[in-house]
Amino acid sequence: MRNPWAQTGNYKTSYRQDTAIFATYLEMLSLWALIAVLLALPFFLSRPQMFVLDLILVYALAVLGLNITTGYAGLINIGQAAFVGVGAYTAALLAPSLPFWLTVPIGGLAAAVAGGIVGIPSLRIKHLYLAIATLAFQIIFEWTVGHSTLLKQGGAISMPRVEFLGYRVGYKNHYYFWYFVILFVVVVLAFAFRNLLRTRFGRALVAVRDNDRAADAMGMHPGLTKIFAFALGGFFAGIAGGLYAYLSRAVVIEDYMLPVSIKFLAMAIVGGLGSLVGSFLGPAFLVLLDLNMEDLANWLKSLGLSYAGVDIASAMRPLTFGLVIVLFLIFEPRGLANWWRLVRNFFRNWPFKY
Amino acid sequence: MRKLAVMVFLLLGFGFAQKVHLMWSGAITGPTSDAGKYYAQGVEDYCKYANEEGKTGGLTIVCETRDDQYNNANTQRNFEEALERGDPAFLGYSTGGTLQLKPLIQEVGMTYIPASYHIGNIDPPDNDYLFLPIVSYSEQVIALLEYIAKEKPGAKVALAVHPSPFGRAPVPDAKKAAKELGIEIVEVQEMAKGLDYTATLKRFANKGVEYIVYQNVAGPVATMIKDAKRLGLKIKHAAAHYAGGPDLLRLAGDAAEGVIWVTSYFMPYEDAAGAAFVKKLGERYKRPADTIESVHYPSGMLAAAIAIEAIKRAHEAGKPVTGDAGREAVYAEMLKLSFDPGLAVGPVTYTKEDHVGVDHMRVLRAEGGKFVPITEPFQSKLFRKVHYGK
Repeated sequence: MRNPWAQTGNYKTSYRQDTAIFATYLEMLSLWALIAVLLALPFFLSRPQMFVLDLILVYALAVLGLNITTGYAGLINIGQAAFVGVGAYTAALLAPSLPFWLTVPIGGLAAAVAGGIVGIPSLRIKHLYLAIATLAFQIIFEWTVGHSTLLKQGGAISMPRVEFLGYRVGYKNHYYFWYFVILFVVVVLAFAFRNLLRTRFGRALVAVRDNDRAADAMGMHPGLTKIFAFALGGFFAGIAGGLYAYLSRAVVIEDYMLPVSIKFLAMAIVGGLGSLVGSFLGPAFLVLLDLNMEDLANWLKSLGLSYAGVDIASAMRPLTFGLVIVLFLIFEPRGLANWWRLVRNFFRNWPFKY
Repeated sequence: MRKLAVMVFLLLGFGFAQKVHLMWSGAITGPTSDAGKYYAQGVEDYCKYANEEGKTGGLTIVCETRDDQYNNANTQRNFEEALERGDPAFLGYSTGGTLQLKPLIQEVGMTYIPASYHIGNIDPPDNDYLFLPIVSYSEQVIALLEYIAKEKPGAKVALAVHPSPFGRAPVPDAKKAAKELGIEIVEVQEMAKGLDYTATLKRFANKGVEYIVYQNVAGPVATMIKDAKRLGLKIKHAAAHYAGGPDLLRLAGDAAEGVIWVTSYFMPYEDAAGAAFVKKLGERYKRPADTIESVHYPSGMLAAAIAIEAIKRAHEAGKPVTGDAGREAVYAEMLKLSFDPGLAVGPVTYTKEDHVGVDHMRVLRAEGGKFVPITEPFQSKLFRKVHYGK
């Protein structure tokens, strides 16, 4: 190719090109530009804004995990918050004696083990029945934490302040420090997620999702593949949990309960199931939507348009959340990732139409 | 002309009065919003009243009620915003949100007044800046056990608690107190959102349970009380603050007759100055009847009143009331705060060792669709002994 930077269209001449992480040089450049922007963001954002950004990235990690289990492998998981919780509680228990760069990965491994165990029913059951099995795990997790004195019966387990390479993290730099840690983890795991489909393990996930008997006939092991999907999805969730524990300074059961699992599922659907970009767009969209609805609700409230005691303004937030999910399911089941795909294709093919 | 000049002066004064922000973050929507929405209205109305009636020491207190939807991450974000803005104190809400924020609260030294009366909020570690407006859930439950021990010595009691830190908090203290009182706790049952409690109640009856003490929210309590009535059981019901009140009467109807309830607040229909004040404020700000009748409305008022009083005193002492210095000044005032806003059955008093505002409560009984006080305001005799070993 004479000038790879001027590449346009979708012209591939080898399998290697077909499986390349970046289809064009421009794509690679845009990713580096995005990372540069993300690295620069802390210089422009206040502490509360940084917290929101941190939160979006942590949610994105949990949704990436869900997109492996549900998006790639097609195994509906209604217990993702419990996997996040396993990571968080593991990190919280180890935090007094180990540094965060060990507690967080160990939390991920613990959640992966939990995922492998929860995945066992998937050897025999699927679809709605499997979803109920994951729901059972969510309930068992909540019950276990609620009755364990070691885990303070769901009350708060405080996380210590961390020190890294002599840099002491206090409340003023807390969200900034964790932003860079989370960003590093997100970049590494996002690359891992992107690479997964280039491996035989990743392709086996999709094959088993589409037709497990056919996959079996082709030499794949559907059972092990499903357990692998749960374990890997759990690992991502566990890492998210460990990071969230440090970010929120304490682990409390309410952050890992069923409504949070539903929220993760909603984020995955709105973002686009099985999509890397969707794993970021979904959490960002729902978190920012909620914030903007809060502002709008407060503004409407200040106008005094509603009758005293009837807080229509506040009800807008949960209503909007529900409405957005329903509208996406009806009109754009492929989620925001599809809009992203359309925009990207437009620029990739430009100046041609297709 | 003179009047006009005075008015202009006052208006100018109001316009130039130093503004101090005070944020409340709680559930106006989502779980427990049946309490949170009234609590928020109480905060808003007391704040308006304090500004309008000059009870702020010349400051303009800008109260902001934020709906965190019972989501701890939202609470944390709101707290950070308040901190960033330089608010001198913060009004919180849920048990989980408060417990989660404790390390941060301790680190930044922000006075924090939650709607959760969980004893863990003011127990070590990281408890210096947390202040309960009224007695803790643990003390409420022990007070109920003390009342039961007097009414029926040696009674058999079951605890029906919410399956959360909020519900479980009083259980260890209650067990110790029961031993001291010579009554028997035969079972601790966790319950929430159940549609039918027949099996639980039958089991209680088989075990000879005479009283059920609830540390819960009104919804499940109403279901259990109605089921007990349907089954014709003679079990008596006793509810801690959030488990009872007018919400329970509304949900349980006739079945609530005879239920005893412990709280530090007045009922709006009582012949008491505090009750009249709450009613007056509700009418002044055009709140509907359900708001005025809710016990969560004066609860929100009390929390706001405590914070505003501490801010006012710090300002009157010539100290800054915003930023780092403001937080310090308001905290210093909280440690010696002693006043009676008239919103509860006793005065608000705090010291370095005592982080419970109103130390008194009363037992009320549901009679004819109303909760009627059946005791004078009192303090639990056993709580300090079983909890602190004093």
